[in-house]
Amino acid sequence: MNKTQKQRVKMLQNMIGFFRASLNPWVIRVKFKENPERVAFILHRVSGAIIAFYLLAHIIVTSYTDDPLAWERILNTLSSPWNKVGEWILATAIIYHGLNGIRLLLVEFFGVGIGRPELPKPPYIPPSFKGGQRKALYAVFILSIIGSILSAVLIFTGKLPI
Amino acid sequence: MLEAEELEAAKRTPPKEVILKVKRYNPETGKQYIKEYKILTYRGMTILDALNYIKENIDPTLTTRYSCRMGVCGSCGMIINGKPRLACQTQVAAVATEENPVITVEPLYNIPVIRDLVTDFTPFFEKHKMIMPYIMRKNPKEVDEAEYEFLMSPEEHLEIYEYSLCIMCGLCYSACPVTASDPEYLGPQALAQAYRYIADVRDEEPEKRIVVVDTEHGCHRCHFAGTCSAVCPKMVDPAAAIQRLRKITLFYRLGLWRKKKTSRVAGPLEKPLRKIEAQYPTHNLVEGADPEKQAKEPVSIDFTDEMLSE
Ligand code: HEM
Ligand code: SF4
Ligand code: SF4
Ligand code: FES
Repeated sequence: MNKTQKQRVKMLQNMIGFFRASLNPWVIRVKFKENPERVAFILHRVSGAIIAFYLLAHIIVTSYTDDPLAWERILNTLSSPWNKVGEWILATAIIYHGLNGIRLLLVEFFGVGIGRPELPKPPYIPPSFKGGQRKALYAVFILSIIGSILSAVLIFTGKLPI
Repeated sequence: MLEAEELEAAKRTPPKEVILKVKRYNPETGKQYIKEYKILTYRGMTILDALNYIKENIDPTLTTRYSCRMGVCGSCGMIINGKPRLACQTQVAAVATEENPVITVEPLYNIPVIRDLVTDFTPFFEKHKMIMPYIMRKNPKEVDEAEYEFLMSPEEHLEIYEYSLCIMCGLCYSACPVTASDPEYLGPQALAQAYRYIADVRDEEPEKRIVVVDTEHGCHRCHFAGTCSAVCPKMVDPAAAIQRLRKITLFYRLGLWRKKKTSRVAGPLEKPLRKIEAQYPTHNLVEGADPEKQAKEPVSIDFTDEMLSE
């Protein structure tokens, strides 16, 4: 290949990119029940970012002043309904991130729940999808929904019904 | 993994006419564009057949790469209806229906595109090379000038068999959300192969591979999104292999992991092999047939003129 040819032939990188891969569970069109782990990954990343953002904001707000009156004013502005929605999203994010985090720690550090290698047989479901981690994932989803509902009740009514 | 529904759908007859929307790339102009082709189908037509039909009859400039046409060589990976698949293993009937006869075909993601559907696997193969995908022995002569095989029990073979089925098609690499943002990530294929050789009892140098995969761009980058296993056409299950690899690297760094067992060279046979005289089977013969006589007779098949003209 001579030099002019080399200059003309340009390859297309065709990368999906960080944001599309982190936010869009449908960039690769696999069905949810075929690969819920991907949805879990995206939710984990998003919830992690929400918590990290909150932590930063929290540190800035709490270190803003040491005057009790000014602090009182800050707390007042922070008790608007929109902040309650924000709190609810944060609570949901923490519940999901924590629960799924435990599952990920078990799977990624200790190789728990990913089955054993086996002879491929129809219907060709990979062992890692048949192992305990898949059941744990559904448990995480269900517990997160329950936790999210309970936290909504607690945040918007001020008390738990139980 | 093939979805059960897809397997069912592949048995159906495809819609009479389908529209292929092919994402094409022209390296001279540097433009990517979508071109539509309307083609007639037949029962059993694969996407690769459809693309070849287009190339032969409609548009000879359409560029694809394939070789075996039967899911063995791994050259024809592409994104079909949004999911990485082998074009030769995907039936038109499985991805198109009478109501929605549109099929989109794109080159694999996260791999540089040379032209149309042809992708450049150089980086992918480089990464595969990095993990040293071959048996390494403390004494290299055992491999280079091998006189005898290495011992391996069927159970030990089953441990790695699944991973050894990889055909390097790059579907997992294309589907992974980590390769999507980190071009240096080793990728599910190379990492699964690293595990395959680390777990292989015939291999004696797992530490050399652990050093390669235990990096920022190695196994710890994986987030267990599992899409690699979901799209692999050979059920290699790279996701599980990578998690095992992580466990190994973690425990190795803590000084708690050592390869449990490496096998030895088989060596000469202790007892000479038994000789068994070959015999023609006699228990299920047609009455009066003499197999020894039949074996000597030339086989002749009579074709009628009709058969030959077909
Ligand atoms: C309840 C305790 C927590 C547990 C068990 C936990 C667990 C984990 C695990 C296992 C990962 C790795 C996920 C992966 O490999 O994909 C992770 C990622 C992450 N965590 Fe947490 N975490 C916890 C709390 C937090 C907190 C308090 C923050 C905010 C400061 C946070 C922010 C993040 C972020 C930003 C990521 C990166 C996500 C990604 O790159 O996909 N986590 N967490
Ligand atoms: S692991 Fe599966 S999807 Fe990945 S390259 Fe090998 S055969 Fe293809
Ligand atoms: S399991 Fe790991 S390697 Fe496989 S697709 Fe997910 S992030 Fe990529
Ligand atoms: S042409 Fe060989 S795998 Fe499709």
